[in-house]
Amino acid sequence: MPRLTRRELLAGAAAGAVAGGALYELVDRLGRTPSRASAAGFPTEQHVLDGVRVVQDDGIEVMVPPLHHRIVTAKLRVDGDKASLESAQKELERTLDAIEDGREPTPAGIGVTTAWGLPYFDRFVPDEAAAHIPVDVRATRAKGHKIKALSHSIRFPSDPRDVVLEANDVVFLLRSDDKDAVADGAKGLLALEFLEPTSVRIGFAGGGFEGGMSLPKRMALAAGIPGADLVPHTSELFLGFTSTQKAGLGPTRIANFETLGYTNAKGGYFEGGTHLALSHIFEDLEAWYLTFDFRDRVDTTFDPGMKAKPGAQTIPQGPRQVASVRNVKRSFQKTGTIGHSASLQTTSRLLRDTRGSDGTHYPKGTAIPHRADFNTLDNPFAWSAQPQVDGMADGPKAGVHFVVFNPTSDDFKRNRLAMDGVLPDGTRLPFQRGARGQGLNSVLQTTHRQNFLVPPRRHRSFPLVELLP
Amino acid sequence: MKRSLLALAFVLLTAGSACSGVDSSSKARAETTKVSCPAAWRPGWQKLANRIGAPVYCPSWVPSPLDAKIGGQWSSGASVGKDRSYLAGFIWFEKGSEVHINLRGYPGRTAIPKCRNDEQAGGKRVKTYIPCFADAKKPKTVAGYRVTLYTVNRDADQWHLLYAWRRNGSLYTVSEHVAPPFGYQRVLQNLNKMVQSLVLVRPS
Repeated sequence: MPRLTRRELLAGAAAGAVAGGALYELVDRLGRTPSRASAAGFPTEQHVLDGVRVVQDDGIEVMVPPLHHRIVTAKLRVDGDKASLESAQKELERTLDAIEDGREPTPAGIGVTTAWGLPYFDRFVPDEAAAHIPVDVRATRAKGHKIKALSHSIRFPSDPRDVVLEANDVVFLLRSDDKDAVADGAKGLLALEFLEPTSVRIGFAGGGFEGGMSLPKRMALAAGIPGADLVPHTSELFLGFTSTQKAGLGPTRIANFETLGYTNAKGGYFEGGTHLALSHIFEDLEAWYLTFDFRDRVDTTFDPGMKAKPGAQTIPQGPRQVASVRNVKRSFQKTGTIGHSASLQTTSRLLRDTRGSDGTHYPKGTAIPHRADFNTLDNPFAWSAQPQVDGMADGPKAGVHFVVFNPTSDDFKRNRLAMDGVLPDGTRLPFQRGARGQGLNSVLQTTHRQNFLVPPRRHRSFPLVELLP
Repeated sequence: MKRSLLALAFVLLTAGSACSGVDSSSKARAETTKVSCPAAWRPGWQKLANRIGAPVYCPSWVPSPLDAKIGGQWSSGASVGKDRSYLAGFIWFEKGSEVHINLRGYPGRTAIPKCRNDEQAGGKRVKTYIPCFADAKKPKTVAGYRVTLYTVNRDADQWHLLYAWRRNGSLYTVSEHVAPPFGYQRVLQNLNKMVQSLVLVRPS
């Protein structure tokens, strides 16, 4: 009997996990596939998903996200010479093409995003990366030394001390309303000889916008998650509020490296690319719903004192609701509380009308981060190559695989620090870790983080390898 | 943490500084049922009714392994505030498991009481008063009692599901902690059973 290599063993185990097991099978049975519009072809950007349906909820426009999500992270087992890397580059491109073959880049088809971590750039293409990864001109100006658009993730003030700062070479994000599309796509990637998988992550999203019980609530109930009974009946996400309202999400191309001029990517190798921050966060639903009343949940999710109809799930987050640093500080002085959205908005919204590099006009108050997060019952992953390091545990647990596209690592960092009360004017609101006044933060527990660079579609496979001497 | 909160809540209640202040706006519909307060438990409830000079409710059924004998092995005490409001608690816990119920009464008042809430803000303590019972669900009738379920509760009822009802111008509550071995649905069942088993004990 032939002996399996470590890679084969890991790939086999990971491929077994991508289907998601009996629990995630429920997503297909419990979720209704929304009707979707067609796309006009594959865009330059990998992170852009066309054909996302917009519905009205409480008179507010809400984007309907894909039902099924898979994430595969991996390290590369490939020789560092140009010939080997170019061969792997071609093979990965063929595999990605095959996954997309006959499918549109929409939730009805499949969205595939390939992003690369600093370990890849440092190990395989260090000189080319130094020359071509865009410089974050805004951060460089602020810090007085050169800062690239991609940098290592950090442990944020509200993160637990044992949060794992990952060092994957590559991550693949697959999104679709069709479970088989994402599962088969992930299996295709795991069959690649040069990929040694490190984790498989699974999740779902979908509000009860057409009435009826939402997918997250059904899934949490089916899994017996503590607090599941208290999740509002039609809630899009476990925490009870609609997260994908159009005005709260960055327009599709605003997060490109070049759009807002935060980097020097315009005209360069990575024009049309962006930055991806990936994290896994546990959510304590019982603590959220048993110790924060509706008023507390609105105050700490949005802004203290924000008007909301009792039981409302979609709260206006348009440019007129954007909070300033002054608002956030005043609220904190008065109530000891900050709103998650309000604090984020001090860095995540445009401070003035801006014309993007492609000529698009973005009004003051427009959101910059383009989020693609989804709920999960992974604990913390569906599968891990290092179960002890990753803290793998039995049984489902409520959480979110947080996926967000920002123009740079620094832009994400500014947003995430603001969420912890570290505001852009340098003010550091004196919160204890887990303080109740931080609301959402106090019921969240981040387990993993990593930053990645998302190349434009034309360079999605082993970026920069073709430039090696 | 919960344990210290409980202890603090009992101290505050005894001192009369927590969960006080109500009005008398609506009528209670509940009436006693045919069940009886177990003989071993009755003296404690009678003593409590006499002490506050108003009727109290003895639950003739409580979740296992508890009993509802005030001063018994599972009793965490019966405290009475200056406003005659009372709190009788019963608790059992082992490593990782806890069964904890509270019964309260607010004689002559029907409004939801207020609890003190302290937040640190800008280096100073901000003190506010907020409803002790919040996130009310639609009222329903259980064994003739028009009960309202509250899912976010403070002080000794924190992390509990709580039923509140009104009777003859007074507010009464029973609550149970949502914690292993009992999840949300089981706690609701337990609350229903406790309400079905209530016996009104009048001062003698």
